[in-house]
Amino acid sequence: MREAVQADLASANSQSATDDTIPPGDSGVWVFIIADMCAFALFFVLFAAGRIAQPEVYEASRQQLDGAIGLANTLILLTSGAFMAQAVRAARKGNRAATLSGLGLALGVGLLFGITKAFEWSAKLNQGIGLTTNEFFTYYFVFTGIHFLHFVVGIGVLFALIARVRKFDLDTTQQRWIESGGAYWHMVDLLWIVLFAMLYLMRAA
Amino acid sequence: MEGKVDTRYWRFCLWMGPTFVLVFFLCWGVLGHNFPPFPPDTPASEVAGWFRENHNGVKLGMVIAMTFAPAYGVWGYALAKILGQVIRDEHNIIVQLARLGAAWTTMAILIATSFWLTAAFRPDALPDWMIQLLYDMAWLLIDLAYAVTSVQLFALGIGFLADKREVPLIPKWLAWYGIWVGFMFAAECLMPYFMNGAFARNGILNFWIEFLIWMVWVPYLTICGFKAIGRIEQE
Repeated sequence: MREAVQADLASANSQSATDDTIPPGDSGVWVFIIADMCAFALFFVLFAAGRIAQPEVYEASRQQLDGAIGLANTLILLTSGAFMAQAVRAARKGNRAATLSGLGLALGVGLLFGITKAFEWSAKLNQGIGLTTNEFFTYYFVFTGIHFLHFVVGIGVLFALIARVRKFDLDTTQQRWIESGGAYWHMVDLLWIVLFAMLYLMRAA
Repeated sequence: MEGKVDTRYWRFCLWMGPTFVLVFFLCWGVLGHNFPPFPPDTPASEVAGWFRENHNGVKLGMVIAMTFAPAYGVWGYALAKILGQVIRDEHNIIVQLARLGAAWTTMAILIATSFWLTAAFRPDALPDWMIQLLYDMAWLLIDLAYAVTSVQLFALGIGFLADKREVPLIPKWLAWYGIWVGFMFAAECLMPYFMNGAFARNGILNFWIEFLIWMVWVPYLTICGFKAIGRIEQE
């Protein structure tokens, strides 16, 4: 009886070590995430200051963006993020097949963002709108470009996680890797949501 | 790795990092009028006029900056020695890349500072546009050579993360911070497209943020390096 209670306690402890770890994943990766969010916060301040100075230019430029594509990108990243969260939950439970399918779906859906983004940028360039058209479009191309770089790194991380799950057992180290990758991928989602609201939705005048 | 590690000279080499940052800031930055630089849209006559008036100060600054440029490489080699102890393999490719990144950065600094020195060498004999050209060339090189420093930042970051010790020799958050700095440096690619604003060579992102996050990384990593050497000696 006593052994059974001890086994239960051990199981509960190991569960809490993975389920309730705050923050999830490697604590160091949060330094990267927080530093990155600070950099983007500065970008948002720059954009806000520019919009206050030139509200008409910003509003006219905003109306040239395709809100439907922006919304599609948001939904794509949110869906991909939901699959990532599913993969993290499955990894914590030690369910390898569900982890792999979650990661695979997060990757597959996430790749659609790259396609729509390429489509959106090429449409803008074909209309003669580029990096130096005006301040709004400078920020539009730079911010979405830097965000896209984060997206590409995230896709690389998802590929790496799938390879690791295929190769190694789902131990606590693996779970930590998946949680860290998940935290990064959610940051990519979050930054896009703010970019979407700031560039596509908020009226300047 | 068996036997006691010979750490003689490691501390001296580590001191070279903060020494380099301080000397570079004063000589290249203050004496050379690079902290902050002339905005790209400054007229050539203004840049040339400043060089003609202050050529002795620029010469002194660049000569000292070039003399101390190898200090960055020496510091980078000391960190690579610590990294060799972290992953317990001196010949690992990550250690080699950390060394190479430091060496390449030293070369980029030497070449870029030689352009500023050339502009100050005989400014009265050079037309305004040529002095501006040398100033621009130096800035384009030192900023766009970010990728070689990123090699060092990524190699050190990834290597320090591989530490299997219960308490890592270098804190993991600092390893991640270094990776982030290397990643942020990619924003330098925007610099040639802007004559003013946040992304120009004197802008808030491409000058203030980029230089400051690197200047914080060097001394903090040095402090952690000293602690790591103490632990390596006790192991």
